[in-house]
Amino acid sequence: MADDAAARLYQAFVSQDPAQAITVIEKVKASGVAQAQLFDQLFAPAMSLLGGAWASGAIDEYTFTQAAVVAEQITSFVTLPSTAQDTGITVIVGVIHKDTHAIDKDITTAALTEAGHRVVDLGVDVHPAEFLERAEEAAARIVIVFASMTGTARSVAGVREAFGAAGRDDIVLLVAGGPFAADTALAKSVGANGIVRGAESALKIVAKAAQKAGAA
Amino acid sequence: MSPRNRAVLLAEGLSRQGHVAPAVEACFEALRLDEADPLVHALLADLFLAGDFYDEAIKAASEAIELDPDCAPAYLALGLAYDRRGGMWDQSILVWHELAEVRPDLVTAHVQLGEALAAAAFEEEAIEAWKAALALDAAEPRAMYNLAVAALKKEGMATALPGFRKAGELDPSQDDFFFSLAGVYDDGTPAPDPTEVEPDRDARLAAAFALAFEEDFFNAADLIRLILDEDPDDPEALALAGYLYLKQEAVNEAMAVALRGLAVSTKTPTAVYVLGASFAKRTGLNRNAARVFGALAKAVPDEPMPHVLLAESLLGLQRYGQAKQAYLRAVELDPTFVRARFGLAAVLLTEGEYSRAHHEIRRAAYHDTRRQGLFWRLYDDYAQGRE
Repeated sequence: MADDAAARLYQAFVSQDPAQAITVIEKVKASGVAQAQLFDQLFAPAMSLLGGAWASGAIDEYTFTQAAVVAEQITSFVTLPSTAQDTGITVIVGVIHKDTHAIDKDITTAALTEAGHRVVDLGVDVHPAEFLERAEEAAARIVIVFASMTGTARSVAGVREAFGAAGRDDIVLLVAGGPFAADTALAKSVGANGIVRGAESALKIVAKAAQKAGAA
Repeated sequence: MSPRNRAVLLAEGLSRQGHVAPAVEACFEALRLDEADPLVHALLADLFLAGDFYDEAIKAASEAIELDPDCAPAYLALGLAYDRRGGMWDQSILVWHELAEVRPDLVTAHVQLGEALAAAAFEEEAIEAWKAALALDAAEPRAMYNLAVAALKKEGMATALPGFRKAGELDPSQDDFFFSLAGVYDDGTPAPDPTEVEPDRDARLAAAFALAFEEDFFNAADLIRLILDEDPDDPEALALAGYLYLKQEAVNEAMAVALRGLAVSTKTPTAVYVLGASFAKRTGLNRNAARVFGALAKAVPDEPMPHVLLAESLLGLQRYGQAKQAYLRAVELDPTFVRARFGLAAVLLTEGEYSRAHHEIRRAAYHDTRRQGLFWRLYDDYAQGRE
């Protein structure tokens, strides 16, 4: 069945018929093959047939090139979307008041966005009250506050105090930056729920926090 | 200015052969004969740098510049010494500025200036310096690596990764790796005239590889066609055909012939490489590329390049920790591997490890100038200019 479908896809390439190629792909999908498997189970064998046909001289250079163009046109039908699907999780990020070190925040923001999270970036030098305000506006339950200096890191406590004063202790407060990475006790003292140690760590912790928030 | 005396020539010879300690002794002997020779002070600075004696290198290079403000090799040694010592960004910026003025055509001076500016957090000025380097040489990989790092800081890995890959393609080490998989190395022998190649498979394949090595893609493709006409299932010929397509940006054609080659024989590392490189050029195929390069890294574990290619695919999958391990392995295998050092710096930046990231970039800079033989180029030009 799979071999047969690959042969039909190859034929669609050689006939320069993208519509036929898509029909073949849709039929294979309808037979139960997952999107994530289409490339390996269908596209790659068809491309191998194409390479073999060129090597044996069954198709000429021009046909090979045109077939490759059709293959290019339908690649998005056999691969996973290049941008991740919206997770529905909103994360507020920002650098605390009197701190303007943005690189950590920018890299983490980009990674979270790429992973499909909705990120509200408040920028640098953000007052504690603004984190609360924007979290409520966006109905976000995860806030990441960045601080790169010991003094500004201590002032993150003001964010937790603002959440508490508004009765929003349910908001997950994550902290990031050198002082917190170096001193876990400092993170605890400002009322943080966790420490983000870089972009990958942010992805893992946000996924975990979202899971917990969803279960609660 | 006087011509080089015998003591200087001895110091040079020893230094070029890597005999650091005797070369230093010979330099001191040369200075006893003429303590006002900037060339010897510059050479001494480079030797101190090679031995990681940064303060001594700074002193020797500064003396050379004091004796002759046009002594370009001394500026190079001084700038590298400042950068590697760390914490001297102001001086470093000034030195690279000076070198760019003394040798305005020197691409590396602009690249280094950018790196010094970036280390001092002058990001926009750094980007301008790297752009100036690319204006002098559009194929300068280190300027591209640096721009990718700058993109990472501002816009994240998804924007930076294509820059790393593009820089990697400009870097000849990736092509060298492909040819090393085929057992083809640059031994100085020119590729044969395609019309005079013996009409047998092995001679044609060897000639096709040699022509491809010299970037004569059309003649190489003609020879491959002749091999495939006799045996369309020749996996090595298919792999080289794939490489030739890849070099002409025909990614799907490359993928198709590489897949065919691997369908014939899975044990064709050149075809594995071409397939992985094809996948890496397509957004959305990072998972496939990581699988293929992972297999290649296992097949040739002592080659640093597949570990770097694997790491780049892992970056595309946001698996930064695994990418870091792959980069570390590549650096362990080849500490002079500039692409691996920059990749490692990028991962370290995603972890908020700025000082370690800049350390890796400084190491990359040092090894890149060594690889280029830049000190000796500047030294020889300077010595000739005054004789």
